[in-house]
Amino acid sequence: MKLVDRWVERSVRGVAQRTSRRHFMSRLGVLLVGGSVLPLLPVARSNESSVADLPDDASLEGTAGDPRSCNYWRHCAIDGAPCSCCGGSQTACPPGTELSAITWIGTCRNPGNGKNYIISYNDCCGKSTCGRCMCFRSEGDKPIYVPQKSNDINWCQGTNSNIYHCTIAAVIGQSADE
Amino acid sequence: MLCAAILLTGVLCGFVVQADELPQNNYMIHCQGCHLPDGAGKPPDVPSFTGQLAEFLRVEGGRAYLVQVPGTANALLDDQAVAKLLNWMVERFNQRTLPADFIPYTASEVTHYRSQVLADPGARRATLLERLSLLH
Repeated sequence: MKLVDRWVERSVRGVAQRTSRRHFMSRLGVLLVGGSVLPLLPVARSNESSVADLPDDASLEGTAGDPRSCNYWRHCAIDGAPCSCCGGSQTACPPGTELSAITWIGTCRNPGNGKNYIISYNDCCGKSTCGRCMCFRSEGDKPIYVPQKSNDINWCQGTNSNIYHCTIAAVIGQSADE
Repeated sequence: MLCAAILLTGVLCGFVVQADELPQNNYMIHCQGCHLPDGAGKPPDVPSFTGQLAEFLRVEGGRAYLVQVPGTANALLDDQAVAKLLNWMVERFNQRTLPADFIPYTASEVTHYRSQVLADPGARRATLLERLSLLH
């Protein structure tokens, strides 16, 4: 026990002699500020940054670049409330709701470069319907007997609650042109 | 090797692999909404692909089942695309368990199996799982 005590004391004193407290504080500061500046949490965003040739929304004309509009280019197949109008964003659920991993997926053409992108319309679940900016564009939507391509079913599945709140529209890839 | 190194840096070689990206694209559009990007699914409601998909290839009727299961048979894809997609999936999700003598699906084979619609996919699945359990 005494040996351990001596060893710990020696190593701690060693650390104290070799490093300054200011050095530690500055490192801690970098970690805290850096952590708050870099987006660490949203899941979908990290995927989007790896999507090649995705035009910046700000460069799009009119409401095609506005995530709060039903005309937003990613909303081509939406049926519901965009989470951007409900305290979330096009890639993140509003606080207090749960992202449903099971989702319906479609493609939308980006007006900036005319390329098709694969859009994941994940529902955010667990709070009553948001109801703001309700959109119904449903391009490419299929009848309910083709369930995997139908947006009429409740996609709050596999979540703790199947109460629908709003829908995100995350770009998960560029669609190969056939 | 060099190409792999460049791929890792994610800069070049992108155009070289473009042709093979189609099955992955189709997977994203037609499958991963429920089966998830890593194929894990959500058992028991959404079957998992990882390590399990190729298991069906080991029993009689299993090769046909992977084409006839409603998710595949009713996918809005032609037979050629389905064949390529299935070949990609068993490689992607079952690298270790894929039988060494696996012969890739062909479009005509998919046409053949697809024309035989399963009346009760759940019962067929149960039968195949029963056959699989006898193998172990």
